[in-house]
Amino acid sequence: MSEYIGIVAIFVLAGVIAGGMVVLASVLGKKSPSLAKSEPFECGEMPFSLPGGKMAIKFYLTAILFILFDVEVVFLYPWAVIFRKLGIVGLVEMGIFLGILLVGYVYAWSNKALDWQ
Amino acid sequence: MTPVSITDLALLIPELILVGMALALLLGASRIQTATLATVGTVLAALVAALTAGWLMLEPPRLGFSGMFTVDGYSQFFKVLIASALALTTLLSVKRVDSESVRPAEYHALLLLASTGMMLAVSSLDLITLYLGLELTTLCSYVLVGIMVDRPNSNEAAIKYFLLGSFASALFLYGIALIYGATGTTDFEAITAILSKSGPGMDSLFMVGASLLAAGLAFKIAAVPFHAWAPDAYEGAHAPVAAYLATASKAAGLAALGRVCWAIFKTPGNELLPEVSMVLAGLAVLSIVVGSVVALAQTNIKRLLAYSSIAHAGYALLGFISGTAAGTEATMTYAYFYVFMTLGAFGVVIALEDRGETLEGYQGLAVERPKTAALMLLFLLSLTGIPPTAGFVAKFVVILSVVQEGYYALAILAVVCSVITAFVYLRVAVMMYMKEPESTALPDPDNDPSSRLPLAVSAALAVAALVTLIGGIFPGILTSWAVAP
Repeated sequence: MSEYIGIVAIFVLAGVIAGGMVVLASVLGKKSPSLAKSEPFECGEMPFSLPGGKMAIKFYLTAILFILFDVEVVFLYPWAVIFRKLGIVGLVEMGIFLGILLVGYVYAWSNKALDWQ
Repeated sequence: MTPVSITDLALLIPELILVGMALALLLGASRIQTATLATVGTVLAALVAALTAGWLMLEPPRLGFSGMFTVDGYSQFFKVLIASALALTTLLSVKRVDSESVRPAEYHALLLLASTGMMLAVSSLDLITLYLGLELTTLCSYVLVGIMVDRPNSNEAAIKYFLLGSFASALFLYGIALIYGATGTTDFEAITAILSKSGPGMDSLFMVGASLLAAGLAFKIAAVPFHAWAPDAYEGAHAPVAAYLATASKAAGLAALGRVCWAIFKTPGNELLPEVSMVLAGLAVLSIVVGSVVALAQTNIKRLLAYSSIAHAGYALLGFISGTAAGTEATMTYAYFYVFMTLGAFGVVIALEDRGETLEGYQGLAVERPKTAALMLLFLLSLTGIPPTAGFVAKFVVILSVVQEGYYALAILAVVCSVITAFVYLRVAVMMYMKEPESTALPDPDNDPSSRLPLAVSAALAVAALVTLIGGIFPGILTSWAVAP
């Protein structure tokens, strides 16, 4: 376990330094509250409504479809790097993999997940 | 690392059949409106998978996928069991799928994929493959529990199961990471080799990882203290899904636990590590006691069966404690008979529909529907462990295996709790046979065809009853296939 002591030391140091800065700033810092300072800060914009309204469920559907194809691409990269080493077996395997993902795509399509109504 | 070849894929035939059927169902999902076609396809795929798994069992054990995957008697035994449970669950769900407006293609595809995950898990010889298999199973199970989307209690059950289940998966994965940290490998054989070199005084990092792994697997079989999800999930789920979770999922978890115990946690003398044996004994004792005692207080039949399944997980664990081949075979036998008798009991609950969910619903059943009541009595006697039913043989072999290794206290506890569970199960039998039927009687099935059981449900109940009886009278026919790895 002794090889992990360095990590523990970094955790402790980070906690002490970050916590110390917050505590020192709130104890020693000058305070002059104003209306502008008590507004929620959002990239310099004036907030005009609280977040947390309803989102259309279609965005979740899009996000799920995105994951389907994102994962596909994640696997394609390492496969492309060693494509020559894997030979014909690798090509067939990737074909099967893409075929299975394609079933998911066809399923989404035939259930009208892609219709944006 | 050798590339995957065709001979590797040949080991996966049962899994490939199930996946193929699941993909076909998904492709035709928008055209499949009633359960019949999906049911026929799923049952056929399950039967073919069971046959091919059984055929692979006759061949000598083989390894594939760089030693990550094995096809031996142990894994194939459980694959046949999982495929049979899948077929029976599908038959039992025929009527319910249509009446609850569950989408049939998706429902059956999820069942098929969950079974595929279980089959991968029981064959894996590598922690990552094992995790992958179990995770495929649980991801499908979360959706299956919540498949009745318009019922709030089904959604509630799914959320509870998902939260606890993903926590258990995280523990399991963390355990794998720690074991990898301690040994530098996830391969069972390599881990054993490293452990035998370092001797019995083991690395603390490894021990923490092993306990997390055990916690993750104990969650899968719903052993106390990792059982809290089971009653809620079973109660809210569609009854056939609850039956499937209680049987196939538990059998796969037991198989994975047995494999891990058998392949990793052994001393150089090929015995189970005493620490692991102690943990298993603790889980078994807690599960048997808590499962039996809490079942006494249940009035909902699905919750009662959930606590009963918790107690049965404890009994099944007894076989693993001794760490001998005979003990493992006892657990395999237990898992086999448990699956059929529990599917039978759930089958009667399903057949009675809404009436079957509560204890009061069984009042006077023997007068109104004598055949259904007789079947329920058979399954209840078997769950109690009364000869000549399979449940007696199952309990007998696991208790015998602990007695042979000198754990007398465990054996006495198991027998005492068996008496407690007798009260639990026979309470339902008393309701059926010794109480007058309520005024809101079911229509007589001979006159009213709508109350007659669908053929599929009757067939599934008949198979479950047959195995329960044959297993009790001629146990050798079925138990001779249970061979430890």
